[in-house]
Amino acid sequence: MSLLDSEAGKRRLLSVEIPVIERYNEGRDPAFQIRLSRLGGTLVLRYCLKPGHNIYQLETRLVSSYPTVPPETRVLTALKHCPHLLEGQTLCLWRQGSTRASSRWDPARFTCIFAVQAAWRWLACYEVWHETGEWPLPEAK
Amino acid sequence: MPVLDMLCRDPRITRVTLIEPDVYKPHNVARHLFPLSAVGEAKAVLAQRWLLERRPDLVVDLLLCDLCDPAQQEAIEAAAASCDIGVCAADNEPAKYHWDALMRKHGKPWTLGEVLSGGIGGFVHWFVPGGPCYGCVASYLKRSVTVDKAPPPDYSQPGGPVYETTIPASKAAIQTIASLHAVVTLALLDDPAHPPFLPPASADAKGGGFTSLLLTLQRVPDLFEEAFRPYRFRVPRAADCLICQARPTPSSVEELDVALDQALARLENA
Repeated sequence: MSLLDSEAGKRRLLSVEIPVIERYNEGRDPAFQIRLSRLGGTLVLRYCLKPGHNIYQLETRLVSSYPTVPPETRVLTALKHCPHLLEGQTLCLWRQGSTRASSRWDPARFTCIFAVQAAWRWLACYEVWHETGEWPLPEAK
Repeated sequence: MPVLDMLCRDPRITRVTLIEPDVYKPHNVARHLFPLSAVGEAKAVLAQRWLLERRPDLVVDLLLCDLCDPAQQEAIEAAAASCDIGVCAADNEPAKYHWDALMRKHGKPWTLGEVLSGGIGGFVHWFVPGGPCYGCVASYLKRSVTVDKAPPPDYSQPGGPVYETTIPASKAAIQTIASLHAVVTLALLDDPAHPPFLPPASADAKGGGFTSLLLTLQRVPDLFEEAFRPYRFRVPRAADCLICQARPTPSSVEELDVALDQALARLENA
């Protein structure tokens, strides 16, 4: 299924992803709303999060094989080198195995907003780590 | 290939379409039916030859492409629309979801065989129109069944690649699960809604009978207490499944495009 090109992908966007993004944006300060843009076959969500005292700019990419392939989220604001951070400031949000058992992403239950919420939680951990040197959550198992 | 070989021995199978992009490689030899001398040939061509040597009456159509290849979807859709049953032995999640979507779109029953890493066991799942989709089953099993104890990735090296350890299954393990897969598939041929392996009164694949079978082939500490133990799972269709539950969208493709463009424009300008 190709997200922006196939009928199934378009129906998923229109009936699942866009409604939850609009619900997320509803009543939210415009500076913290999610904005969308198309990049080839990828849909890019750009938004800001403020888990504590700092504001971070992020983007979450729904690649053409989304939702069977999980969204990729990276922080655009410069971060210190820390645990659970992959190349290009991409967040390690779920165990990124390729099999059903080894991947924590669940396309039957999760939407792109789950990825946004997971990024918020990651950033909250980052702020704690920044101050204490300790990542406050256990590693994904 | 093992499940294909076993299915095509049955005279009720008169035509098969193989969707397979891979070329036979040296490391495949230990787990396949084809000889070392066949290395370098397309697997689908080898499979076609193998089948026709045993069933000259069989019609074997080939699609030498990736199941998810956008350029081949027209041909794949046509094959899906004309089949009586689908059989999936894909080893990656996008392909399984894609196959599931194809089969649901065309209202076809289908089966899936999965051999676990290391050949410690395997699953056979079966799906019928109106029953749980692969998303329902995968989500249920992800939350309810542990079949992998591989260590987590090494987070001490931020920015480093995330490897996962997979141990190839033996030919014997593959053959065992493929045999179960073939038995279930053949049982579905006559009446997918009431296959003979379910008790007559126990209901059907839409909720009452089992929809997934796990057979352990090894004892694995903290995972499988016993070898050769079957587990039957009754996975219901999930009311909140984001893959198969219908939600209101425009019926025509044109209206869908317009509605999507409008929705994206709203959020592009948010």
